[in-house]
Amino acid sequence: MTNLLSLVDVNLASAASFRPELALTFGTMAMFILDLFWKNHPARPARLATGALLVLGVAAALLVSQPTAPGSLFNGMIATDGFATFFKWLFLLAAGLTVLISAPGKDFPPARLGEFYALLMAMVLGLFLMASATDLLMVYLSIELVSLVSYVLAGFKKGDRRAAEASLKYVIYGGVASGVMLFGMSYLFGLLGTTSIGQLAGRIQHLQASGLPAAATKLTLVVAMVLITAGVGYKIAAVPWHMWCPDVYEGAPTPFTAFLSVGPKAAGFAVALRLFYGALSGPSAVTAGFGEAVGGLPWPAIIGVMSVATMTLGNLTALAQTNLKRLLAYSSIAHAGYLLMGLSAASDRGVQAIMIYLLIYVVMNLGSFLVVILVAEATGSESILDYRGLAKRHPLAATAFAVFLFSLTGIPPFAGFVGKWYLFVAVLDRVPGPGGNWYAVLAIIGALNSAVSLYYYVRVVRAMFIDQPYAEPRQAPATPLMYQLLLSASAVAVLVFGLWWTPMIDWTSASLQIFKG
Amino acid sequence: MTQTTGKLLGWILGTALAIGFVVVMGQLAIGPAAQSMVPAPATSAGLTEVLFYVLAGVTIAGAAGVALSHNILYSAIGLLMALLGAGSLYVFLSADFLAVAQLLIYIGGVLVLVLFAVMLTNRITEITVSNTSLGLWGGLMLFVAVAPVLLAVALVTPWATITPAAAAHTTETIGDALLSRWLLPFEVASLVLLASLVGAVAIARKEIKAD
Amino acid sequence: MVPVQWYLLLAAVLFGVGLVGVLIKRNALIVMMCIELMLNAANLTFLAFARQQGNIGGHAIAFFVIAVAAAEAAVGLAIVIAIYRTTGSVNVDDVRELREEG
Repeated sequence: MTNLLSLVDVNLASAASFRPELALTFGTMAMFILDLFWKNHPARPARLATGALLVLGVAAALLVSQPTAPGSLFNGMIATDGFATFFKWLFLLAAGLTVLISAPGKDFPPARLGEFYALLMAMVLGLFLMASATDLLMVYLSIELVSLVSYVLAGFKKGDRRAAEASLKYVIYGGVASGVMLFGMSYLFGLLGTTSIGQLAGRIQHLQASGLPAAATKLTLVVAMVLITAGVGYKIAAVPWHMWCPDVYEGAPTPFTAFLSVGPKAAGFAVALRLFYGALSGPSAVTAGFGEAVGGLPWPAIIGVMSVATMTLGNLTALAQTNLKRLLAYSSIAHAGYLLMGLSAASDRGVQAIMIYLLIYVVMNLGSFLVVILVAEATGSESILDYRGLAKRHPLAATAFAVFLFSLTGIPPFAGFVGKWYLFVAVLDRVPGPGGNWYAVLAIIGALNSAVSLYYYVRVVRAMFIDQPYAEPRQAPATPLMYQLLLSASAVAVLVFGLWWTPMIDWTSASLQIFKG
Repeated sequence: MTQTTGKLLGWILGTALAIGFVVVMGQLAIGPAAQSMVPAPATSAGLTEVLFYVLAGVTIAGAAGVALSHNILYSAIGLLMALLGAGSLYVFLSADFLAVAQLLIYIGGVLVLVLFAVMLTNRITEITVSNTSLGLWGGLMLFVAVAPVLLAVALVTPWATITPAAAAHTTETIGDALLSRWLLPFEVASLVLLASLVGAVAIARKEIKAD
Repeated sequence: MVPVQWYLLLAAVLFGVGLVGVLIKRNALIVMMCIELMLNAANLTFLAFARQQGNIGGHAIAFFVIAVAAAEAAVGLAIVIAIYRTTGSVNVDDVRELREEG
């Protein structure tokens, strides 16, 4: 009984470092209630957006004021550390931008905006938990929270065939992926007797020292890890679990697509880093590669192969796309491939590179989708043909889009270059070590892929600036001031941080502490 | 024309991959693992054993019915059988609470929901489901590739053997555990349910005509 | 006592059947039923190990899985209803608005 009470005490004490999450929980419910007010009021979208921003702001304020010391919360379910805090800021930034984008737009009718914001808050809470989960059960539950909300929001447009299809495909792929992951977790639980991520490495070593037949335990470990990788790979849209991505991105309401392309991807990487790098790489793993800890398989090499497949497939398929949303979907698959390079490097440098890249990626990708929304509202289409002559019709949007696209390619004066530079440095750092030649090959393929991506990004830029308009432009509706502000701010941020990147480096290197339990 | 060639190529590639996978797994992983296989302890066929085999048979038959039947109603009945069989097996695993939960939530809730969906979308029974992207043979091939690995994992791994405790009531222990060690997952699960219920209503209700 | 291996074997078969069903069936409802089979396989494994190790954690996890599966079924079936409204069919092959051009 005393044992039970001590567990309860831990839970009570943990609430002090759990305030941002509590704010989001109550915020979700508050948004559900706010949704009932101001029916048919002309200022409804503005008021609801203010409410949602308020919730995010309160969560941000509580995040600033919470204790910074790393530690375990709720009996080892989640951890609070610099790593998780960095990702939480990322999610708050992405959610805040999404709220601002969706308020003046036409993707959500005012009557349904309240539900969207409430579900978005719940999703941000799920992302928070994904970034801090240190128990396999919490990983599963938080992924499910994020996924279930995503399924609903992907099909949020009423009577729209594409939206309904997108959410059907999403729910089927997602259900299979989470079922597969769960089955892998059950084997891991059976073999190691624990679900705590922090204890995995120790239990595996104990198992190997216990004199049980090594080959058989190895096989089980490998199968379990492969099955779990499927669940994580689905969240970050890595090949071969990427099939849902283009369809869902195309069918979902564009502001939500924008959020989907950055939020869950970043959270998936947080889970992957915590699992593969934080927990399973022991002190000896720095030289041997962290795979030695798990079944003796060369995991960095396997992730490297995944990375190559993901970026190559993403980039090559993007070449043929004419729908901008699909093009950006394949581009986001390719970017998952670049990010996997950092995971394959399996070093602190690699982790830092992933964090820097994700930070920049949030801004440039949300900005790109904002331009897509803007053009879709003016022309009703997402085809590349409607981007012809955009520079004349809407110079600000065209210039900003060009900045984002060049940044996505990774061309020097823009911030995307900084992110890519650090990713490549992390991989090249590995070249003198064991298996260095393969890292060199990985870096070369990454560079070739960047060159390929330039082709389809430039195609869009050419359409905007050089090509003649496809059809006589209709009278375009006035662009909301909010869009102009957001576009300018994002483009300026991409330019400024492309030239002055020390703050990002300082912040990420201060956030590198991963709580290992 | 090119499409059929592409499809053929895909099939050849897929077959080669599956065969290669089986060979590699057999050579590298399962072979060495099987050499150290511990023979399963001999058991006398008591009533428990017989019941286990019967229930396992019911479960697998139900599962096969779900996956292979051409009539969606038969699939639903197959799911009922599989869930009932698995739920009864939970009792043998001294998980009385979970067995009841399975009965109430899965069979009482989920299955009824599925049956409602079947009835509401009644025209689908007329659609032939033989036209598939992977096809029955593709599925069988996948099964052949995956099954040996999973079976080897189940049979060959020396799972830590601890003498199982005598069957006891688990409800109280689970209740305590849910409000102490597993408090956070418990609360998160409640939020998952809230979000998905609101979401399900939001997506399935008819368009609001006002706007 | 039936050894744990038999339960694992049963769970592996259940999982395999569910996986194959997901891949060969085109009806969204049946695919969802197959996903339920996969989740049940995982639950069976968790409970078998829980008995094996005298670890109540397996029971807790299985409980959460059942709860989440119910939520997933609710959302999934809501989506099926929604798509049935727009297309009049829940056959995945008929759902082909979204795909590569050409």
